[in-house]
Amino acid sequence: MDPEAAQTARESLELAFHMSNILDTGLDRRTLSVLITLCDLGLNPEALAAVVKELRRESCSSSPMPETPSSVS
Amino acid sequence: MEEEHRVTDLIKELVLRLLSQNPQNPSSSIDTQKSLRYAIRILSSLMTPSIAPDSAAIAESIKRQLATQGKSSQALAFADLYTKFASKNGPGSIENKWAVLYLLKVISEDRKNQKSRSDSRVSSGFSASVGLPALFDAESGGYSGVSRNRETLEKGWNNGVLLVSKDPENIREIAVREFANLVKEENEVSEEVLVRDVLYACQGIDGKYVKFDKSVDGYLLRDSIKVPRATRITVQKLCELGWLFRKVKGYISESMDRFPAEDVGTVGQAFCAALQDELSHYYKLLAVLEAQSMNPIPLVSEMANSGNYLSLRRLSVWFAEPMVKMRLMAVLVDKCRVLRGGAMAGAIHLHAQHGDPLVHEFMRQLLCRVCSPLFEMVRSWVLEGELEDIFAEFFVLGQPVKAESLWREGYRLHAGMLPSFISQSLAQRILRTGKSINFLRVCCEDRGWADAATEAAAAAGTTTRRGGLGYGETDALESLVIEAAKRIDKHLLDVMYKQYKFKEHCLAIKRYLLLGQGDFVQYLMDIVGPELSEPANTISSFKLAGLLESAIRSSNAQYDDRDILDRLRVKMMPHGTGDRGWDVFSLEYDARVPLNTVFTESVMARYLRIFNFLWKLRRVEHALIGAWKTMKPNCITSNSFIKLQSAVKLQLLSTLRRCQVLWDEMNHFVSNLQYYIMFEVLEVSWSNFSNEMEAAKDLDDLLAAHDKYLNSIVEKSLLGERSQNLYKTLFVLFDLILRFRSHVDRLYEGIHELQSRTMESLSPSRDKTRSRRLLNDKTAEPGAWISDGRKALTQRAGEFLRNMGQDLDAIAKEYSSLLEGFISQLPVQQHIDLKFLLFRLDFTEFYCQLHPNM
Repeated sequence: MDPEAAQTARESLELAFHMSNILDTGLDRRTLSVLITLCDLGLNPEALAAVVKELRRESCSSSPMPETPSSVS
Repeated sequence: MEEEHRVTDLIKELVLRLLSQNPQNPSSSIDTQKSLRYAIRILSSLMTPSIAPDSAAIAESIKRQLATQGKSSQALAFADLYTKFASKNGPGSIENKWAVLYLLKVISEDRKNQKSRSDSRVSSGFSASVGLPALFDAESGGYSGVSRNRETLEKGWNNGVLLVSKDPENIREIAVREFANLVKEENEVSEEVLVRDVLYACQGIDGKYVKFDKSVDGYLLRDSIKVPRATRITVQKLCELGWLFRKVKGYISESMDRFPAEDVGTVGQAFCAALQDELSHYYKLLAVLEAQSMNPIPLVSEMANSGNYLSLRRLSVWFAEPMVKMRLMAVLVDKCRVLRGGAMAGAIHLHAQHGDPLVHEFMRQLLCRVCSPLFEMVRSWVLEGELEDIFAEFFVLGQPVKAESLWREGYRLHAGMLPSFISQSLAQRILRTGKSINFLRVCCEDRGWADAATEAAAAAGTTTRRGGLGYGETDALESLVIEAAKRIDKHLLDVMYKQYKFKEHCLAIKRYLLLGQGDFVQYLMDIVGPELSEPANTISSFKLAGLLESAIRSSNAQYDDRDILDRLRVKMMPHGTGDRGWDVFSLEYDARVPLNTVFTESVMARYLRIFNFLWKLRRVEHALIGAWKTMKPNCITSNSFIKLQSAVKLQLLSTLRRCQVLWDEMNHFVSNLQYYIMFEVLEVSWSNFSNEMEAAKDLDDLLAAHDKYLNSIVEKSLLGERSQNLYKTLFVLFDLILRFRSHVDRLYEGIHELQSRTMESLSPSRDKTRSRRLLNDKTAEPGAWISDGRKALTQRAGEFLRNMGQDLDAIAKEYSSLLEGFISQLPVQQHIDLKFLLFRLDFTEFYCQLHPNM
């Protein structure tokens, strides 16, 4: 990656991070960059969002509140 | 493969990170694996996004959401960030920006929901992100399986309704998608195909679905094809252009077919050419439109910019202007189907009187081309006198006639072919100018008019070459025609006056035919008189010609121009039996080309009539003068009075006196009539005619002036139709006067004889025996007279004189009654003013007093 592209990527990431902070998504830089990469590769953002949600829930559910995973329809 | 690996690696990392976010729970590898599998399952189940990939819309919706939540500063910040984010392009930047935004949005919403959720949760699985729009409080129905027991009203969380899509703006997208489906259902045929068909129809070709329907006489979509009614109507409206095109094209091809048969004139051809030019512009437009119609029409849901596409609506906008023009052309075609030449140009011109600048400009261009052949014809006619009109389209018609009637009948105007932008007076001028050129060329054999023509063209600012003038330059045409007319008329009149000496000939006619040359007439009458007393069929015109020659030689007429004298001839009119020479004698003047344009046969016949009248009047005058010569007192007659008896003497004296009185009356009448004719009629008319000849600007003026001159002479000399009674009375009077003359002759003959007898018997002892002997020899019956003696002589004389006296009385009475009748009619005439004649005849009011009823 040439420096200019790297610069652009860094700046885009920064902007996206700021946006995500405004929206209060709770994502950190690293996770966000992974997600962005996956989106760019063409994955469905809805699906990604769902993954995020589920995994968060799971991580929460592994804590004292037991949750039943919802059915995938 | 590498892609997939990468993807898997990334997912793994994601899972790890997400799980590790929860610090409380240390992630076990099994959990990680499970989660990984789960994640992959989720990801593989949803492949296509449900919303339109428009990052701007998503950003907008996020902004709005933030604003409605009261976080306006954050909304502004977000907007700012988004603009910067969106402007990042090139290598290293994010390509699916919309995906990123959408992702963030969904995640934030999920988090919000998660945070605000209480224990029991509505399953908002993956179907949450698919399908239905977010319905707000009002509409809460929809999906079954929703538990309505959640009463919590949260922002963004609806009343127990399955929030399938948290993006309110998805309403639009969903609705549009539904509409697209509906459209696909309703239309059997797609709009692109229809557009292409319409474009074909507008060139007169049947398309796949749009065909020409003869029964309706228009282009229609077949009823069997299922399209919504609006589309059907739109297609029909657009196909009107096709119908108009068909009409115009049909006319053009018809005309082209008829051209070899020489039925279509030059103007018609020009019209077709102009129409074809317009159609070529139209074809260009259609070509451009056809290129555009190849682009697919995007449905409303697709916001991609797929180039310049062509829908039916756009087509109707493009067709607005061509429709107007085509309509105009179709109207003109209808109008001009049966017209040709100048009439066609005039009809098109009438249509050009329009306020709309588009129409006006269009018509002007069309007319420029249509009228160019006409203007050409006018130019060549006016400058060269050429009538190049194969198809009979020009408004000047020519016909082959003899040279002498070339001016009057050779050319005339054809009102039907006169276009409306050329006024009547201009047309007259055009006609006259061309006629003058032809006249000069044919009758006068003059070539000088060509210079005049070039001068005229130069003065008017155009050239004598072709194509100098066009429609819309009627002023230029008018000025050209006026200049040409002015010069050529002047040239023509110059030629007539100088080369052909028109004025001199007129004067000659006046002098000879109208008896203006008094001494010549006198001599002629003296010489020809005795000849003419013979019956008409014994007179030879050859002899009369010789007498005419001698009369000319002995009068002042011999000094006249030889050319003029050559033309003067004797003419014997056709006579019946019993006619005397006086009735059939006349003079004639031979006017050759080109003067016989003015002096035509009919004109010469009128001159002849006037000549006859004047000749008769002269004859009567001549007769009276002859009578005077006999009647004037001389010693012979006065001597005899001494010797006679008083009774006879008295009778003689009274007879003589009565004769004298009657002669005086007649002479008064005749000389005054003569004077009136000569001076009041002939000279006055001639001076008027001279003035008008000076003022005449062209040959038409000259002809009119000459006609007026002749008319006035005819009317004033009582030869007109309305003066028939007077004319007859006059002729009876003339006859009477001639009878009187013969009576007087007889009377004086008798007196001379009587006196010679008396002289002989009364003076035997005279010295002049020889004269007596002569007298003796002359007497017929010397014995009878002398032997009777004085008594017989007296008796005879008395008888003779009495008879004569009675005759004279009769004549006198008749004469006075006729004259009275004549004079009484004079003031009553309304069509001519005879007061001068009346004044002369009756200036002492003698007759008025005699007969008070006058």
